[in-house]
Amino acid sequence: MKNIEIAPVSRIEGHAKITVQVDDSGNVSDAHFHVMEIRGFEKFLEGAAVEEAPRITPRVCGICQTSHHIAAAKATDQVFGLEPPETAKKLRELLLLGQYIMSHSLHFYFLAAPDLVLGPESDPALRNVVGILKNNPELAMMAIKTRKIGQEITATVGGKPISPVTAIPGGQSRGLTTDQQADLLSKSKEAIELVEKGIEATKPLFTQYSDAIELLGPIETHFAALTNNGDLTYYDGDVKVIDAAGNPVTEFAPVDYLDYIEEKVQPWSYMKFPFLKQIGFPEGNYRVGPLARLNVVDNIPTPKASELFAEYRENFGIAQNPLLYHYARLIELMYSSERAIELLEDNSITGTDIRQTLSEPLMTKAEAKESSETKRGVGMIEATRGILIHDYETDAAGYINRANLIVSTSQNNLAMDIGVRETAKKLIHGEEVSEGLKNQLEMIIRAYDPCLSCATHAIDGSSPLEVDIYNSEGILIKKHLI
Amino acid sequence: MVNIAIETLASCSGCEISILDLHEDIIKLLDQADLVSAPILMDIKEIPENIDIAIVTGSVRNEENKERLEELREKSKILIAYGTCACYGGITGMADLYTPEEVNSRSFTDNPSTEPAELPTEVVPELLSIVHPAADFIKIDGFIPGCPPKEQLTHDILIPLINDEAPDVPKKSVCADCTNIMEHVEFDKIKRRIEGEPEPGKCFLSQGYVCLGSVTLGRCGGLCTSAGVPCHGCGGPSLDVLREPSHDIYNGVIKRIAHISKMPEKEVEKQLYDIGHIIYGFVIGSTIMEEKQVSLIPQLVKK
Repeated sequence: MKNIEIAPVSRIEGHAKITVQVDDSGNVSDAHFHVMEIRGFEKFLEGAAVEEAPRITPRVCGICQTSHHIAAAKATDQVFGLEPPETAKKLRELLLLGQYIMSHSLHFYFLAAPDLVLGPESDPALRNVVGILKNNPELAMMAIKTRKIGQEITATVGGKPISPVTAIPGGQSRGLTTDQQADLLSKSKEAIELVEKGIEATKPLFTQYSDAIELLGPIETHFAALTNNGDLTYYDGDVKVIDAAGNPVTEFAPVDYLDYIEEKVQPWSYMKFPFLKQIGFPEGNYRVGPLARLNVVDNIPTPKASELFAEYRENFGIAQNPLLYHYARLIELMYSSERAIELLEDNSITGTDIRQTLSEPLMTKAEAKESSETKRGVGMIEATRGILIHDYETDAAGYINRANLIVSTSQNNLAMDIGVRETAKKLIHGEEVSEGLKNQLEMIIRAYDPCLSCATHAIDGSSPLEVDIYNSEGILIKKHLI
Repeated sequence: MVNIAIETLASCSGCEISILDLHEDIIKLLDQADLVSAPILMDIKEIPENIDIAIVTGSVRNEENKERLEELREKSKILIAYGTCACYGGITGMADLYTPEEVNSRSFTDNPSTEPAELPTEVVPELLSIVHPAADFIKIDGFIPGCPPKEQLTHDILIPLINDEAPDVPKKSVCADCTNIMEHVEFDKIKRRIEGEPEPGKCFLSQGYVCLGSVTLGRCGGLCTSAGVPCHGCGGPSLDVLREPSHDIYNGVIKRIAHISKMPEKEVEKQLYDIGHIIYGFVIGSTIMEEKQVSLIPQLVKK
């Protein structure tokens, strides 16, 4: 029996390990994808004034921070019974599009492309963005420029490029000036050109690697995504769930998610495993994110992306193979740029009615203690990596009693785990496993663009060591726990 | 060529993204330095030898973080704690507001969408009982706080360091960067940040909101106040708070609000709310901040 470890899984966000057990006949008996980190946001949000959640939760993840910011803001809107004015919703959607442009170009070009451009079994010392810079500087510059535009949209609409601040309960804290509108419009048009060139340069890779697409991590699952009457949507919508063949299974409003989604814990990963409650575990396995979205929706409502989508659907149908996430991501890059232009060409984006404020004063904490009233808000969006849920329950004064976060990547956890196991069984025979083969198992994980810092859930400590500190007179002055 | 490594501990990766936000300047950096290890970007699994400048992000949250950090220290000449988590524990430090059992229970046993289970223990690294900044375990040669550090700051620090020159960095608080105008206005009530509607361009403290700008290290450009929200201290304590034993974030904010509003300090203290998240949110894991005699952190952390 031999235990093979791939650690850390590289070119992903967060800490993970792949283990493979090979039995004495050289066959894989088991394999798993382990998420190695947790930090405890759900618990330490308790007691916080809920309006702080859109400032705190972006630190769940430095890539998805904007997604957390917006989902948290939506949840706090509901807690306080506030309705953001139309311009505020458009600004939030634009902010989210900046996130998509940044995050999808980061993932495709900086994290995933080295495998496709340089080769899955190429020299690991060069198989990275620096290698692409040397091998194909034009592609690397395209990547840097596209990502920069995403950050510029985020900074202008959100206040800063990482962990934006403008989405507040009831709307936005700052609007857009006409100068900023013009600037972002020209940048979004530049983004379309860059994305077009990028797709032209990289689409051939999907034909070149059609074998890898078949081989690495294939699995059939349900898919879940928000839709706006069948259209692709990121900011608002109801959840639609389909099965692997594309048949509708169920639909539900965000606030009802607890009736439809449950999470399982496994002892070998800190990230939990969401599944469809009505079907059970593991048959109720479902995926989210670009692949899922493009399977669930009927239509992408912007012209160039719609054309790409039609071609993609014709070639792949209801896509199951994880490497097609990369292709779906490129199509979404196009949609995000086109949709940004639509929002920026509409002059209401510079409107000044951007916030609904509280109509009644808040209770104090002391008053809230006497009251049995609770408030609740469920903020759900399509984050870049999939459905993201922020659920806050507060006391009458709006201090968090209980927070539940279901983060995008966890919903792909089971598919990643099964994908790694089944592919390891196919590829590994014997104890010698090449670096290139290990990298191909990692490619399955990378395809999902996992964000493991979003694995937010619990922490626990081993027995603490207690140290008593005495001063020179033998008096105990401090107890220290380490 | 100078060898650089980036090691990510219990980090959200925002610090790594802030380095990528050098955008085209990354190419300039890579002309002068070799990136020899950075798991988020590169497939080098083992920490290499002979690192000239190592950058560590994130707090030390579990055994694996601690081991990687110690190995990094052995193999590098200069080790920099990059970001508020590496310097002070950052936002991850708020986990210390609760006992490990309480936190564990909220995610695995008493969670609305989860069937009750035990904390995972197979293969995954054991957690330390509290959050630690890197300096709790090894010697750090330089601290760059920020959540994350602004890309311009990173540029202004890394390029000189690579060229063996001393970086020149701003030393003032966020107030120096903030463009809002201060007005001394008497008021008797502190507002929650969702109450009322702040007047743009006017100091948040003077409008009754809790803003940490005066006690937070500036270098961030005061972006939050420009965006219409108060500073929440993500850059960590100002140099004044760090250096003076009797100066703390908590008493600093109280003094400021009392001075502007003419409220007695005792009344300000009474009205300040959500101290754990709002006042100390980014520094609860910090040994330096906890050990100040005037610090409230020891009363907040649960063991």
